[in-house]
Amino acid sequence: MPKVEKDGDELEVDLTDTEINQIQDLLQRGPTITEWGMFDVMHSEHCSYKSSRPKLMLFENAEENYDYVLAGPGEDAGVIDIGDGYCLAFRIESHNHPSAIEPYHGAATGIGGIIRDVLCMGVRPIALLDPLRFGPLKGNPHSQWLFKYVVKGISDYGNCTGIPTIGGEVEFDESFESNCLVNVACIGLGTIEDFKHAPSKAFNPGDYVILMGGSTGRDGIHGVTFASRTLTEMSEADRPAVQIGDPFTKKMIIEATLEAVKTGHVRGLKDLGGGGLSCALSELTGDGGTGGNIDFSKIFTREPGMNSFEVMLSESQERMAFIVKPEGLEEVLEVFRKFEMAHAVIGRTDDSKVLKVRDGENLVVNLPAVALSDAPTIPRPEKRPDYLDELIAQKTPEPNIELDEIIYQLIASENICSKEWVYRQYDHEVGVRSVLKCGEGDSGVLRIIGTNKFVAASVGVNSKHCFLDPYQGAKGGLVEVCGNVIANGAKPMAMVNCCNFGNPEKPESFYFFSKAVEGMADFCKELRIPVVGGNVSLYNEDEVTNKLIKPTPVIMIVGIIEGKENIVTLPFKKSGNEILLIGDTKAELGGSEYHSVIYNIEGGIPPKVNEQAVKATWDFLLELYNNHIIKANHDVNKGGFIITIAEMCFKNKMGADLDLKDCNTDDLKDDELLFSESVGRFVVETSPDDIEEILKIARKYGITVKKVGVLNSNSEINVKGLKKKDIKLDLNKMKNLYDSTIPDLMEI
Amino acid sequence: MTIKIAVIQFPGANCDLDTIHVLNNVIGVEASLIWHNHFKESEFDGCVLPGGFSFGDYLRSGIIAAHSPSIDEARIMLKDGRPIIGICNGFQILTEAQFLPGALLRNESLKFICKWVNIKVENNQTAFTNKMDNGDTLAIPIAHGEGRYFTDKLKELEENNQIVFRYATEKGEITDEANPNGSMENIAGVCNLEQNCIGLMPHPERASEEILSPNKTTHGKLFFESMIEFIKRRTS
Repeated sequence: MPKVEKDGDELEVDLTDTEINQIQDLLQRGPTITEWGMFDVMHSEHCSYKSSRPKLMLFENAEENYDYVLAGPGEDAGVIDIGDGYCLAFRIESHNHPSAIEPYHGAATGIGGIIRDVLCMGVRPIALLDPLRFGPLKGNPHSQWLFKYVVKGISDYGNCTGIPTIGGEVEFDESFESNCLVNVACIGLGTIEDFKHAPSKAFNPGDYVILMGGSTGRDGIHGVTFASRTLTEMSEADRPAVQIGDPFTKKMIIEATLEAVKTGHVRGLKDLGGGGLSCALSELTGDGGTGGNIDFSKIFTREPGMNSFEVMLSESQERMAFIVKPEGLEEVLEVFRKFEMAHAVIGRTDDSKVLKVRDGENLVVNLPAVALSDAPTIPRPEKRPDYLDELIAQKTPEPNIELDEIIYQLIASENICSKEWVYRQYDHEVGVRSVLKCGEGDSGVLRIIGTNKFVAASVGVNSKHCFLDPYQGAKGGLVEVCGNVIANGAKPMAMVNCCNFGNPEKPESFYFFSKAVEGMADFCKELRIPVVGGNVSLYNEDEVTNKLIKPTPVIMIVGIIEGKENIVTLPFKKSGNEILLIGDTKAELGGSEYHSVIYNIEGGIPPKVNEQAVKATWDFLLELYNNHIIKANHDVNKGGFIITIAEMCFKNKMGADLDLKDCNTDDLKDDELLFSESVGRFVVETSPDDIEEILKIARKYGITVKKVGVLNSNSEINVKGLKKKDIKLDLNKMKNLYDSTIPDLMEI
Repeated sequence: MTIKIAVIQFPGANCDLDTIHVLNNVIGVEASLIWHNHFKESEFDGCVLPGGFSFGDYLRSGIIAAHSPSIDEARIMLKDGRPIIGICNGFQILTEAQFLPGALLRNESLKFICKWVNIKVENNQTAFTNKMDNGDTLAIPIAHGEGRYFTDKLKELEENNQIVFRYATEKGEITDEANPNGSMENIAGVCNLEQNCIGLMPHPERASEEILSPNKTTHGKLFFESMIEFIKRRTS
């Protein structure tokens, strides 16, 4: 890494030579060491999105194109107007690198960070969701260790802050063995007034700048630049760059911040996350078109003797910066005193458009505010890896075990089995809003007290599909996650994403990112889903083994259900009711769990998305919901629709008699029919009386709906109409396998 | 007369607003959220110590809150016979403050557990159970990491009828399987000798509305309705 120098102090920076020259040209002088450190952080991939920004421009402008979007990408969180005077703020972020090094604190501070992002929109955080990815657990103590402590980190931190964890997903794959993915999402609820009180900019000269919360310590210095490098064996030595979380202080910050915002005297609000004070102050003043005068000596530190470099770059957790009207200063400080929160007035804004930090006589920082927040982009070349053709050409071997045995193996596989071991450790009910709790639906559903509205939220993506075809895989992720909220009766309102990819400097890695973004942008434009925020985590690549993670553009969808009567749940309910499969099943076994669990192959033809059909299916379902003729709904996902049916049987101890003869119009092989992961399908339950009407509506929308069987109450799935022979599945056995996989691996 | 109930807000409490919501909007009683340093017992007919992580549960769950000035106020209330309930962390605080016997240890599984359980009513004579029948089972969720009840005075508690709830199956059987956290004798909640103060690990405020309950029960309401009944009887 290049070195910069000032007055005898040296600093290694992650900046390129071009960037170093640009900075010197801009300032017409050599920056101080503190300034160099600030540029280093603000120009890091994590803060500046310098590799990803050109691609992210493909997303249509959410604020311009959707009147209910109040804040879009570029803000700390996306915000949408949901009517009745309320708004929702939400965001998703990665905390992959810290969690790979120190899973407990890495995951905990990930939660801490995402809570702050939502809080600084002026609203109360009301839900967390956590998409996680690890190496396979079986026979792998390292993966078990990461999994156990990431979950514990989320549990200890999230539970203490009083924010329920209402959903998430877990994928296990060898590519995540040394680079686990810990993504964290948060949803906030507030009035539109609350939101308007808390812009994340300082637009008025003469306002006070207050720092509130935890003290500034030496932890986490250069956490951001660390997240923008690949992990190496040396990373163990980076452990001090992982911050330590304090959920109790976070809880107090939430309450003190919300009460301060209620005073009406707060004019700007920003959390201190990656890049610490440098990032927060330069963004506040840069975006607000003001400048600032900060007195370094006022910043309260955890230990004496910290220099300006350390203070400006510290990523100590649990800190918020407030911009406060002069006339309201006393009232806001009184709130902080009540909650016994440490705070200090550290300076004032001015109209200089320059950010100045003084240490006594010395001006340690003197930078044009926009210089820091406007990092240049770097165009990255991309190249489709040649090995993909070979992978996609892989054929499904002939099954050498019986179909029922395959299904038992699938239901017990790490990616399909129950994740109850995880969500039992999360308080998913605090806040008294959780209407559909973990395990009860495809999404988490929260009520909005005082209205007849419900929020449904889900996260996910299929990284195996994305690996074979990132463009289609990313679209498939959207179909799946939108499908999750639709399955529970919601209309998808907006999307945020968290792009986890490899080293952007390698064209073959950058290809996956590039195509996944194109896929998401095209799909969202077509289906009219605003993209209101995102986060990019690159460099998820192991330098030593050269192992690249499977491309993982995690998608989060927030939807709205109008009226309690319109909530649809997952479990089958009544013996004698009919089971319908909605959508087309194709010979798409590429990247399926069937391929990986049974044959240990990753290739094959991955699912392809047909936007028109997806749109028609969604509209069709919403019409059925209006008629209240759907008793249960679950989207078809990993393992194919036979797994979907089993999952729907479990809760109420139902069974099913299936006849698939008429279902197989495309002359699929038995395994293709049962285990294909074609996207955009749903399994629904309905009364026999309503079948004709459903089929009539289906014809109107031009979509495929097949009767696949009837519910029974004897805990068996009987499958007839296959090409080879009938099968019988014991649901008690399936449930035991489904429930015991993770506890058996983790509780030793 | 208007009944006034205080929900004491310790720093780190997180079921405070939930409890206020249920008291105000579901039960329809005047309940106020009172910052722990501002609590004056003379202004209230009873108080609730809500769940959460008071003072981050640093040092030991509930121990720091047990030394808050509000506990001195609550002690006056206790002696005076007014109703006091500690829910989850509130229960931990009440044992630390020695309003209630016993202690809450780490769950047997060493993990936080969030799930719906059933508890059986063993004493319907307390300030918070007078609307229940002995032997009733209530559906109610737990969410805690340290809820394993322990006491070295088991016999005394049994003799004095201080065991108010035990974890049970849906049918009311007291079994090991029904015990979520390894509590001694499946104990989920206890009361003081005078029966005006109870503590329990499960969360009545999360079980008071049909829409939140897996089986549409509202057993949590009974706790607060009993409290109101108790206050009415005391003051009439």
